[in-house]
Amino acid sequence: MYGGGNTFEAQQMGGVENEDPIKLAEFEARIARGEKIEPNDWMPALYRKQLIRMIEQHAHSEIIGALPEGTWITRAPGFKRKLALMAKVQDEVGHAQLLYSAAETLGKPREKMIDDLLSGKSKYSNIFNYPTFTWADSCFISWLVDAGAIVNQLANSKGSYGPYCRALERICAEESFHLKYGHHCVIHMATGTPRQRKMMQEALNRWWGPMMHFFGPPDKASVHTEILVKWKVKMATNDECRQQFLDMYVPKIWELGLNIPDPNLKKNPETGEWEYTEPDWEEFKRVINGDGPCNAERLAVRRVAEERGAWVRKALLKPEAAYTTPLA
Amino acid sequence: MQSLDPRVNRLPIPESWGELRAKTPLDQLETYEVFHQAKPDKAFEHAGIVHAPNDDMAFLFGKEQYSRRGNTCSGIWTVATHKVMVTPYTEGDTSLYDLFEGEQQHAAQTEAYEIFHLKKRGKQHVHAGTVQASSYDDALAVAQATLNDGKMVYNAWVIKSSDFFKSNAEDVDMWNTLYEKKYREAIDYRAQDKINQFKEEQNLQNHG
Repeated sequence: MYGGGNTFEAQQMGGVENEDPIKLAEFEARIARGEKIEPNDWMPALYRKQLIRMIEQHAHSEIIGALPEGTWITRAPGFKRKLALMAKVQDEVGHAQLLYSAAETLGKPREKMIDDLLSGKSKYSNIFNYPTFTWADSCFISWLVDAGAIVNQLANSKGSYGPYCRALERICAEESFHLKYGHHCVIHMATGTPRQRKMMQEALNRWWGPMMHFFGPPDKASVHTEILVKWKVKMATNDECRQQFLDMYVPKIWELGLNIPDPNLKKNPETGEWEYTEPDWEEFKRVINGDGPCNAERLAVRRVAEERGAWVRKALLKPEAAYTTPLA
Repeated sequence: MQSLDPRVNRLPIPESWGELRAKTPLDQLETYEVFHQAKPDKAFEHAGIVHAPNDDMAFLFGKEQYSRRGNTCSGIWTVATHKVMVTPYTEGDTSLYDLFEGEQQHAAQTEAYEIFHLKKRGKQHVHAGTVQASSYDDALAVAQATLNDGKMVYNAWVIKSSDFFKSNAEDVDMWNTLYEKKYREAIDYRAQDKINQFKEEQNLQNHG
């Protein structure tokens, strides 16, 4: 599971001014009763648009996120690690399929989603624009990036859109293996030889900044925040997710004797909140906008895969094939 | 572009890309609905969709996507989405069959139709049974008479049995390999002993 906590909202999105007030009231009452919204139900344009954006970004993150880990399959230390990493990467790509399907039920064809990924119009989790220099980087992703994503996706699985919730439930069910596998890998490195330990510490140093970026900048209430919370599209703030992650995983990192590269990181005993050095948000913006160490490589690999496979898909396409929006 | 991954460096990535051409419709092929049976005595339930070029591949993708992890699959059915007849959805306390006014045709020529019911909003469509009928409407009328237990049904899918690609009962061993994949299970990654040992060693070093 790789879905980043931060969903990049559209700068320009209409509100609910033009919606039918009676239908809107029924829609909101349904959500208030705890019922799910299904693809055939009436929904405001803003709800549809933000959900497509969110689910699509999550799907892209799964498929792009498989690249930095997948690169280590051939060099994984030992047969068992190789098997496990292959299984994990296969799972992640499967998660992308589930999520693209959920987004499709909202009316955006998969072709358009892939176009938007390749053109850079749609985003994916920023953290995958960083390189995996060593096996220890792969271990970091398997444990802690997955852990961060789980924090976010568990919250989203309690949202209001039925197909997304069902996809997330299926995805979360597969996650316990990923998390345990990742933790196992990090433990092995951190408690291993001095060289292994050094590798793990260096990976932690490299990835801590991007990991803190992972949940997105502190929430500034946008014009739509209140209504997206009310509609159970946005289930937790970026800061809430970040705090939850720190609370669950900093002690586990520390118990392995690893040093988190932030001298200000500590839990305030009075507030119960973690205090930390703000990561470099300018870097975050730069990387989102395409200027990260691996943005070009990630999209190039994806584009080559799409273009190389095009003839196969074309050859297999039946003349009588017809596109139908998936049902649920 | 120089990658850390030698396989990426071997890819034919051009110095500069041409204009990105928008994908044509159906580049990602048709969609198929996948139904999953957790155990032999359980009803088939809608699991999700796959994109595939034909029935065989849809079944294969469906198996890969929806019967992974765990020993919980005993059957998969797939059908092209456009072959599913979907009834209108109902609301509140109104069941689909309260509104449906079709009549059984009792035709001489009939074929089998599979009926799926949505009995709870937010959940999946579940297989209610098979009926013999002469058309989709007739199938729904027969279902109204024979599969309606009086409980809420918010929506039904009516699908010709012949349009499905189904796993056979005798092929059930296709899921057996799952039993051997312990490396895909969380239980295979216990490490608390290692952490405890590490902490003890650290304590000894620090406190001598």
